[in-house]
Amino acid sequence: MIDVLVTVGSGVIGLTVIGFAGGALLQYASKAFKVEGNPLVESIDELLPQTQCGQCGHPGCKPYAEAIAHGESINRCPPGGQTTVDRIASLLGVESLPLDADTAAADQDLVALIIEEECIGCTKCIQACPVDAIVGAAKLMHTVIVDDCTGCDLCIDPCPVDCIDMVERPKAPDYWTPIHPKVISTDRFGQIEMQHG
Amino acid sequence: MAEYQIRRCDRHLTGGIHPETHKQLSTAEPCVFVETPTRLLFPIHFSGGGPGEALVRVGDPVAKGTPIIRCQSGIVHVASRAGTVLEVTDHAMAHPSSERSACIVIEPDGLDRQDYLSPMNWPFDAETLRERAIEAGILGLGGAGFPSFKKWSNRTQTLIINAAECEPYLTADDTLIRIDTHSMIRGACLLSRTLDIQTIVIGIEDNKPEALEAIECALKESRSDCFFDIVLLDTKYPSGSARQLVWLTLGIEVPTGSRSVEAGVIVHNPGTLAALSRAIDGKPITDRIVTLTGESFTRPKNVIAPIGTPISHLIAATDTNPQSLHSVIIGGPMMGYRVTDFSAGITKTTNCLLAREVEVQPESPCIRCGACATACPVRLQPQQMVAALKGDALNRAIHEGLGDCIECAACNAVCPSNIPLAEWFRRGRFEMKERAREHQQASDARDRFEARNTRLERLAQEQEAKRAARKAKSADALNKARKAREEIS
Repeated sequence: MIDVLVTVGSGVIGLTVIGFAGGALLQYASKAFKVEGNPLVESIDELLPQTQCGQCGHPGCKPYAEAIAHGESINRCPPGGQTTVDRIASLLGVESLPLDADTAAADQDLVALIIEEECIGCTKCIQACPVDAIVGAAKLMHTVIVDDCTGCDLCIDPCPVDCIDMVERPKAPDYWTPIHPKVISTDRFGQIEMQHG
Repeated sequence: MAEYQIRRCDRHLTGGIHPETHKQLSTAEPCVFVETPTRLLFPIHFSGGGPGEALVRVGDPVAKGTPIIRCQSGIVHVASRAGTVLEVTDHAMAHPSSERSACIVIEPDGLDRQDYLSPMNWPFDAETLRERAIEAGILGLGGAGFPSFKKWSNRTQTLIINAAECEPYLTADDTLIRIDTHSMIRGACLLSRTLDIQTIVIGIEDNKPEALEAIECALKESRSDCFFDIVLLDTKYPSGSARQLVWLTLGIEVPTGSRSVEAGVIVHNPGTLAALSRAIDGKPITDRIVTLTGESFTRPKNVIAPIGTPISHLIAATDTNPQSLHSVIIGGPMMGYRVTDFSAGITKTTNCLLAREVEVQPESPCIRCGACATACPVRLQPQQMVAALKGDALNRAIHEGLGDCIECAACNAVCPSNIPLAEWFRRGRFEMKERAREHQQASDARDRFEARNTRLERLAQEQEAKRAARKAKSADALNKARKAREEIS
């Protein structure tokens, strides 16, 4: 009888000790290796186009990423287009949805252009720009830093004289795209000896 | 006499192919100067060194050596002959894009007016040499056109002269070494002295005995105290690719995503070093050696041609009627590209015009023979990469090693199904770069957005604090006034 008690008791005590030790280790690890912020939000934010346009109904890409992490629908980002929706879907392991917007607008890569002769220097667009891509000062002409403009069009509405247009993003003068391959474009010639071994 | 040794390379290229070289085709005739053409064309944005800006106006007189284009990287392109700027117009170019772009057209007047830089006196430091390379428009003359001065870091241990010239048909470098050995050696020595490099390695394929002999002669006459390590490579394509050459000659494998410069090695084409030597004497790049070769040319040969010479003029220099050809390949059969508009002018990177009849072979399905994987010098799986790219799965192709592809087209050459593998990889690598650029833009936008939010928050807090202080102050003043009134009453 005592034998059995000793056997069972040592087992129980042993497991309890291991349990507590494990618990203490986990407790320590959770403090020492604590991850700041939500890593899921970061990964979603990484996939969003960072136009900060607010078309999703959130004040920027990061807040929308947070909202998605909390269950908001993933198809509210028109600048990202269907590609972004698909990528988020594959990241989260959910079914992809059709983009909840006018898809034609999503395919264009636009930037804001201030018609400088008409600008009255009211600074309203500067205040509206989420990425500080407009330079200028009160009563002086403003202009858009093209490379920094994300094409969010948040500066259009505040402009009192309607002097901002959305235009296609200008390409670098030495920009070119390789052709879509159909046949070997240069040359083929016979007697090619392969290396063996 | 400079110290040197000749040794056979003891390493062997993984993969690679042995195409017929056809080099004797263009070396039979002596290298000659071509007559100055009636027009010279200089693309403003595509001359090498990034998008440019014209420094001359229509009607301006120019001399040989007058700066006409300044590129974003600083590199200056000069007029290769004296004459007048006839017009600035959209014109066909010797460029793989086969698009038209703004070109400066110069009409040479046949006079020998020169506008050179002043000769430099030894000793000079690396910074002065860099400035000179910019002003003289020194680009990699091997074909890539990378601005040379960007490679010259002070942490360099070795300079490799890439005399491999592994591409079939090409003999421009071979010719340059034979006729201009001293300039090449001098350029290499001066660059090494400036950057404090001890060893100069010359990687040369064993199918160029004449060039090797010329180098030996020049080194015997040279008074340089640099040590020259001449490495004889097996004739095998693509042993002249920078990464492959660094490994063959020094045993250093340049890691993925970095350049040979970061491994302490500079690789230069012989022509670049000869041009540097002349730049030190004050002469910018105005001419280059071009190989005119291929079975369709009547008399293939190497020529020294002014930069900007129209392709048709060079074709005529081989006693061939330009009208009899449909297209020429610029840059050799493996890595070159086809040009059909012969009015385009050659650039600094045009090393070869190749004309030969080939029938276009249509693509058949991949039979999974693995020939491309055996031929690949980077040990990639081209068949997997091309399958991924055709399925629009760029990420998978990148995972398979698209970033390491050197676009050598050895896979193209061995594919029994005529699949344009290298063309797919070229396009895929372009898309890869575009995606990286977009990603960078997005992350910059995020940084600016976050910085702006922090700033707005800070401003709001400051305003709040100010308001509170003002409130406290006015309340204080009110209290005081009240007290004073109470005291009076």
